Amino acid sequence: MLEHYFPILVLLGAALAIGGGAMGFSYLVGPKRPYHEKLDQYECGFAPLGRIRMRFDVRFYLIAIIFIVFDIEAAFLFPWAVAFESIGLIGFIEMMLFLSVLLVGYAYVWKKGALEWE
Amino acid sequence: MAVEQLDIHLVLMMPEILVAIMAMALLLLSAWTHKGGAGVIHWLTMMTIVAVVLVIQVGSGTATTFGGQFITDDFSRYVKVVMCLGMVLPVLMSADYIRGHGMDGGEYHVVTMFAMLGGMIMASSGGFLILYLGLELMSLSLYVLAAWRRDDRCSSEAGLKYFVLGSVASGLLLYGISMVYGVTGGTGFAEVASFLGKPEGHGSQLLALGVVMILAGMGFKIAAVPFHMWAPDVYQGAPTPVTAFMSVVPKVAAIAALFRILFDVFPTYHVQWVPILQLFAVLSMAVGAFGGLVQTNIKRLLAYSSIGHVGYMLIGLVANSQAGAQGVLVYITIYLFMTVGVFGLIIAFDRQGLGENISDYQGLARKQPVMAFVMAMFMFSMAGIPPLAGFIGKFSIFMAAVKGGFIPLAVVGVLFSAVGAFYYIRVVKVMYFDQPEGEFKVTLSGGGFIVVSLSLFMIFFWGILPGDLLAWTGASVQAFH
Amino acid sequence: MSANLLILLAPLTGALVAGLLGRRIGSGLAIAATITGMLISAWLSIRVFSVVAVGDGPVIREEIFSWIVAGNFNVHFGILIDRITAIMLIVVSGISTLIHIYSIGYMADDPDEPRFFSYLSLFTFAMLALVTSDNFLQLFFGWEGVGLASYLLIGFWYKKESACNAAIKAFLVNRVGDFGFALGIFAIFMVFGTLDYDRVFQMAGAGEFKPTVDFLFFGDVDTITLICLLLFVGAMGKSAQFLLHTWLPDAMEGPTPVSALIHAATMVTAGVFMVCRASPLFELSETALGVVTVVGAVTAVFAASVGLVQNDIKKVIAYSTCSQLGYMFFSAGVSAYAASMFHLMTHAFFKALLFLSAGAVIHAMHHEQDMRRMGGLAKKIPITYGVMMLGTLALTGFPFLAGFYSKDAILESAYAAHTGLGTFAWIMGMLAAVMTTFYSFRLVFMTFHGKPADHHAYSHAHEAPWSMRGPLLVLAVGAVFAGMIGVPLVGEGWFKGAIVLGQGHDALAHAHHVPFWVKWLPFGAFVVGVYLAWLMYVRLPTLPGIVAETFRGTHRFLVNAWYFDRLYDWMFVTMAKKIGEGLWHTGDETIIDGFGVNGAAKMCTRIAGGLRWVQSGYIYHYAFAMIVGVLVLVTVYT
Repeated sequence: MLEHYFPILVLLGAALAIGGGAMGFSYLVGPKRPYHEKLDQYECGFAPLGRIRMRFDVRFYLIAIIFIVFDIEAAFLFPWAVAFESIGLIGFIEMMLFLSVLLVGYAYVWKKGALEWE
Repeated sequence: MAVEQLDIHLVLMMPEILVAIMAMALLLLSAWTHKGGAGVIHWLTMMTIVAVVLVIQVGSGTATTFGGQFITDDFSRYVKVVMCLGMVLPVLMSADYIRGHGMDGGEYHVVTMFAMLGGMIMASSGGFLILYLGLELMSLSLYVLAAWRRDDRCSSEAGLKYFVLGSVASGLLLYGISMVYGVTGGTGFAEVASFLGKPEGHGSQLLALGVVMILAGMGFKIAAVPFHMWAPDVYQGAPTPVTAFMSVVPKVAAIAALFRILFDVFPTYHVQWVPILQLFAVLSMAVGAFGGLVQTNIKRLLAYSSIGHVGYMLIGLVANSQAGAQGVLVYITIYLFMTVGVFGLIIAFDRQGLGENISDYQGLARKQPVMAFVMAMFMFSMAGIPPLAGFIGKFSIFMAAVKGGFIPLAVVGVLFSAVGAFYYIRVVKVMYFDQPEGEFKVTLSGGGFIVVSLSLFMIFFWGILPGDLLAWTGASVQAFH
Repeated sequence: MSANLLILLAPLTGALVAGLLGRRIGSGLAIAATITGMLISAWLSIRVFSVVAVGDGPVIREEIFSWIVAGNFNVHFGILIDRITAIMLIVVSGISTLIHIYSIGYMADDPDEPRFFSYLSLFTFAMLALVTSDNFLQLFFGWEGVGLASYLLIGFWYKKESACNAAIKAFLVNRVGDFGFALGIFAIFMVFGTLDYDRVFQMAGAGEFKPTVDFLFFGDVDTITLICLLLFVGAMGKSAQFLLHTWLPDAMEGPTPVSALIHAATMVTAGVFMVCRASPLFELSETALGVVTVVGAVTAVFAASVGLVQNDIKKVIAYSTCSQLGYMFFSAGVSAYAASMFHLMTHAFFKALLFLSAGAVIHAMHHEQDMRRMGGLAKKIPITYGVMMLGTLALTGFPFLAGFYSKDAILESAYAAHTGLGTFAWIMGMLAAVMTTFYSFRLVFMTFHGKPADHHAYSHAHEAPWSMRGPLLVLAVGAVFAGMIGVPLVGEGWFKGAIVLGQGHDALAHAHHVPFWVKWLPFGAFVVGVYLAWLMYVRLPTLPGIVAETFRGTHRFLVNAWYFDRLYDWMFVTMAKKIGEGLWHTGDETIIDGFGVNGAAKMCTRIAGGLRWVQSGYIYHYAFAMIVGVLVLVTVYT
């Protein structure tokens, strides 16, 4: 069974060789003359405004989590739509159930004000 | 694929569906009523659980649905009732704890219900996937519950630790499941079992690896050594009602799942898993016995106590017999009441801002003899001293072990229970022989009174007349072997 | 309920009423309750006696209730009244009743009167249960019951340290004897499979038993000898025979009525009774009989010799009792059981009389017991003097008084046994008889004659109240006539089947045909004894001091009762303490506590500390532990 995975092993090996080779080669041949500005964090070319390790607002996470939930919903909906013809009424009901469960969460989040950026 | 070919009998899932619908409804209710609805949600939760228990009782016989992925039988019904009790009693006794610590948005009840729902699904699971589904539903809810007091550093720490380590455990479990799938080509219990029943199903290294991984994942959920490290920290940090909840329900669920995995799927691999569980049992009993000796925080103490108790329950699994399975159920049922009772008292102490340190109980016997007596009874029962029910639990386990030929294991168990008795009785000593410090009066809330007195009654009743309990559990494990 | 059962139950009821309700109903009613019980018991005993012993009534056998049924161990509580029991009944209930009455006066000032009477009645119940038993277990029940009552009554004045010590001593020494006794009963059950007298004796007579048994490290020993010797160990304890006698003199710490009832008339004779009762067994073992003879004879001389030099009035009588019990035993040892029983009966009367008279003297002298502080009391308390003199004469075997008949029967039997041991016992008995007369008259002379030593006490001395005088007079009558009336006892076959004699064991039958000088030698002993006592304590009062000074070693040896107490103290008490301390320090503290209890606890704490160290709180440590766990499992188990 394992021999079916051989191409993947080849791919892995190639990726490692190319990536590692590029980085190793540049490390070996490239000149190294570091100074302060060169080592500083990169911020679109101008002098950095604050420290790099700053806290992100928790609201980013909230939005991100809610996004993932709906993202996955979309990921489910695509194959469902493709296979809709063959799974029939039962498939439809099941998807509606799934959506309504998500809807409950959505309603809760909305009502709790998690979607407002204030 | 035509509709009629689908094997869907929702009626078998009525308890789970009921819990799910009510949880969602209460979630919406909590969002729309603010704090005013907390009381309503509290009582609706109670009523829901009562209704669920009644619905569970309606079912009978053994049946499967969703192509064998979901099983209902006497065993699952018994375990689900235990889980319902393990959920509803902590909630009942901690109504004013929840209010007092700002946990009364109503979501607490909802998340607890989800956790229980996950446990119920595990108990009824007929395949590895649905088992994992239930496990994750339960685990995620528990992570949230552990970290419920966001303003409390300990609680947050507890939630985080539980989550991270739980993820590792889930990873191990999934890894194991994938190996089993890889070897057998199925995830349903029946499929895997039928594959293992054939000649080519024997002696696969990969499958053995999978079994080890699955056991590791499940071992984490029941806090068996060496996958127990999270337990003391999480028990201590989590809000007390949550600790009470998670020292019972997840353990019941995971043990139930282990029953299915070990007895239904891998009975032919018992040469494999019996020694592993034996190791788990001995280590758990040892850590449970010795770890508790130096604790000063009673919740931490109870964490070690629960590790020890899991060790004893594992002996029942090791025995690999109906008697052993029955012993486990007896033990876990009694364990439920002992644990809930003790936590009820801790919550009563918490009402006075006390109760986490063992030294808070100094001289309790002089100030409140009844309270001290009740606590002492729970402690003696935990230590397994007759005529309290804890003794019956240990007795049925050890009997099963002896009958199964695991005499050294039983001897070790008895020895460790003697060591463990020390710290239970130390609590009694603190209450009865130390000088009281400070003035306080501990009172139980209404719900707390009901729960504690029910627990006390049960440990006395089953300690003296365990006949009913033995009969029920005996009937419940008929399905195995 | 049968009247015979009531003999036992009446004193028990009295004891319970006085003991449990004594504080409630007051001492008057409590005493009335116990005395009523005693009177009922005594009256019924007399009735039974007249049927069984005086008339020719059949032996009474009653099963009261099934006591213990366990497998093939089956014992019932029963009543057996044959002629031995009948005599014991009359002695026990009769004297007990008299002493109850006597105690009304003697204990009048004591605040704990109900308790005292309750104990007395309890004792009587236990003693009656002992003598009416029809099996060995009930015998043992009564045996232990009287032991308990004795313990309680010796320590009645529990605030006195010496009384408590004496009580404990009595209990412990009796424990040694009872241990043997219990083993004897076990052996009987083991060999015969039953404890009923009738069955055991019948089987023993028919030879239906294993001739030898394996006993401890002695190997195979003769079954009957073993049983008899074990039983006799019990008798030695209860009847204060040589080696186990040390408790009896100390028991005089109890109130005097107790000494009279328990430590003279009844309880201490239980051993004699038991040996007579078990005569069908003892008759089968010459060895056992020999041991009984020797122990009895030695006790007779030993106790009498110690009695010679005692100054405490009660101790003199106590050693006298011990000595007289020795007579009874060696008489039994030469198979003259009837003579034993006869002497037991007469002795009960005159010894109770002596004790009670001594009690009256002590009462008169305001609880003074040292005879050196008495003297000349004859004039002050003439009645007491009179009855005491009668008692003394009866004890010393003055012709036609009680002791004359019974003691002579014993001595003649010993002579007539015509065995080496019999002759030995006879010589010892004669020797003891001289000494008995000497110390008895020494007592009388020191107490009642001469000059008063303590004038204050003397001037206040007074005759005892009538409640005390009455019983004294009744007992005096007994002391005079018991012998004359009781002569038929030693006649042939009076005891019918109750006493069994082996082949050729006919010492008593031949006792009537001994030479003339043997018959009158005891009287000679009496005369010698009286003369010596008169010489030393009336005629030449300085002589005792001179004699004591001349034979200082002997005197000290006797005063210290042959140093038995000191020997036992060194041998058992000190040794036991040393062994105990050794076990405590090395065994318990060092080994068990050090390595076992504390060592294990220390190890537990150390393990717990290690676990705490592992439980660091860092997630990556925890995760690491999990991974290591999985790796170990994978390596080991796949």
